Amino acid sequence: MQSPDNKPILVVENLAARFGSNIVFEGVNFQVNKGEILVVVGESGCGKSTLLKIMIGLQKPSSGRVMFRGRDIISASEEELNEYRQNIGVLFQSSALFSSMRLSDNIALPLQEYTNLDSATINMIIKMKLGMVNLAGYENHFPSELSGGMKKRAGIARAMALDPIVLFFDELSAGLDPVTAVELDDLIIKTNEALRTTMVIVTHELESICKIAHRVVMLDKTAKGIIAEGKPLDLKEKATDPRVRSFFLRQLPEVDSRSTSYGK
Amino acid sequence: MFMQSEQDWSKLYKISSEKRNSILVIYLTGDFGLKNLKAFTEEIKQLIYKQKPQEINIDFSGISYLDSAAALALIQIQKDTIVASINCSLVNLNEETKGIYSVIHEQALTKTPFKAKMRQDLFLIQLGDSVLHLVRDFANVVTFVGELLYDIFYTIMHPQSLRIKDVLFYMKRAGVDGLPIVGLISVLIGLIIAFMSFLQLKQVGANIYVPSLVSFAMVKELGPIMTAILVAGRSGSAFAAEIGTMVVNEEVDALSTMGFDAVRLLTIPKVFAMIIVVPVLTVYADFFGVFGGLIVGVTGLDLTVNTYLTQSIKTIKVFDVVTSLVKAAVFAGLIAGIGCQRGFQVRAGAQDVGKFTTSAVVSAIFLIVVADSIFAVTLYYIK
Repeated sequence: MQSPDNKPILVVENLAARFGSNIVFEGVNFQVNKGEILVVVGESGCGKSTLLKIMIGLQKPSSGRVMFRGRDIISASEEELNEYRQNIGVLFQSSALFSSMRLSDNIALPLQEYTNLDSATINMIIKMKLGMVNLAGYENHFPSELSGGMKKRAGIARAMALDPIVLFFDELSAGLDPVTAVELDDLIIKTNEALRTTMVIVTHELESICKIAHRVVMLDKTAKGIIAEGKPLDLKEKATDPRVRSFFLRQLPEVDSRSTSYGK
Repeated sequence: MFMQSEQDWSKLYKISSEKRNSILVIYLTGDFGLKNLKAFTEEIKQLIYKQKPQEINIDFSGISYLDSAAALALIQIQKDTIVASINCSLVNLNEETKGIYSVIHEQALTKTPFKAKMRQDLFLIQLGDSVLHLVRDFANVVTFVGELLYDIFYTIMHPQSLRIKDVLFYMKRAGVDGLPIVGLISVLIGLIIAFMSFLQLKQVGANIYVPSLVSFAMVKELGPIMTAILVAGRSGSAFAAEIGTMVVNEEVDALSTMGFDAVRLLTIPKVFAMIIVVPVLTVYADFFGVFGGLIVGVTGLDLTVNTYLTQSIKTIKVFDVVTSLVKAAVFAGLIAGIGCQRGFQVRAGAQDVGKFTTSAVVSAIFLIVVADSIFAVTLYYIK
């Protein structure tokens, strides 16, 4: 896998999210380097999705900053935020394709809105994007006519419509069979290597993490913040924190899983 | 700013050229992306058109940023020139650019879509489809009504199966929450009838009949029908959207697999709540309608409150009130029934939910008017 540059493209500084007295996380600091695949992991409820929503400008944090190319998106005006959003692409957990539109119209929407290109050029770009995600020929299909894996790929094609600088993925392979999940992982790696698109992926699929991540940031519910950061293999093999070890070794911390099972 | 504007983007690239014999070398320098795609492609095309070379080399060595759309545009230029019998090569591509080209698949660009876009059918086919659709819809409604009547009967025989909590919830939603709008519309309708009839009746000096006209119209027709139409708009649509979204989220399937009769569980509480609450709302609407007329009567016709009310009460018979309540209950059953039925017809997607929600309101209003016509004829003979 190609190694990314060490230039930060997105910097998260002292980020905190609180809902009333409930603290989701506090003091979260990390950076995403150019061309890097950064995977955010953690157990359910640790704030992965909240963090993602803050990073894509859908939610405001309680405090802290998210710097994109040296500009804070948290304090940005709505107009500036829309400009920021033209630089990013997001694949939602459910793919969030517009069900009433064909795939071609789903991909064309941002191109028609934000560029001055004629329809012939837009059609060529649509064909190219669908080809990139192995969906060539599916432009006239509706999302309801596609399988889960195809919907995800179509979602990636739409997210890449404007050639974004950063791509965000929420639960990349959730709900997919292992073969489709592996195909999707390969697509992510290929896209990252070919286009050098920076990617931030929220997931807890261990196989995916080890395969695609350049770097991993691990959030924890009890620590209310980051408990580990580094290369996936380093974390898997060298981490001393029992929570990190248990995550990567798929074990409950300090508990022999067999002793709690009914079939002992 | 997070992003350069199109004007800024146009400054980010530079195209220069030199002609060596019959070979035109085009040097690309700077950033080439979606935002300046139109500008740079036009510029290159103009250059080729003016120079009329026999061979072109597009030199990529000065490119600092290239996105996939721009890379595609340059391939298109290459293709177009080759079609025009000019040999065109893309030269000095760095690793990054080669990476981009590695994911642009030629066969994807030329592949015919698996599915053609649907063409508009002939008028006759559309007409046939519409008729078939109507017949199928009628069959669906009849089946649903049968199922619903059975479930209502079942619930009456097994009252413990009725989820009282849900009934109360929908009574509040459809009834209590609807009080302000029903009251307001009724007052306005009472005002309008009183005012319009006063304009006509004053010419023959029959102002004293304005209260009779208002109360007669409100209690016999407008009270039940206006309330029903408002409830159809508020609650019928809400029922369809609620059940439709549950279908989309597979919640209805979940109920079925848990052994519940989804129709009974979701529809019956709504139907019972509506049958209880709509007649009450109708009486409320009647009062407010008469009150609206009273405002005009007292302020414009110089009638006393007492005279107005006595005149109104004299006109209304118990039979009229009872039939008005029966009508309201029937309308309520129709609104709730059709609202839920349309909700169950949703198959997938947000658009389906919208379509059937609209259909729930339109069908409910249609059924209300049909039922009212039947009542009008039937009541004429009963009397």
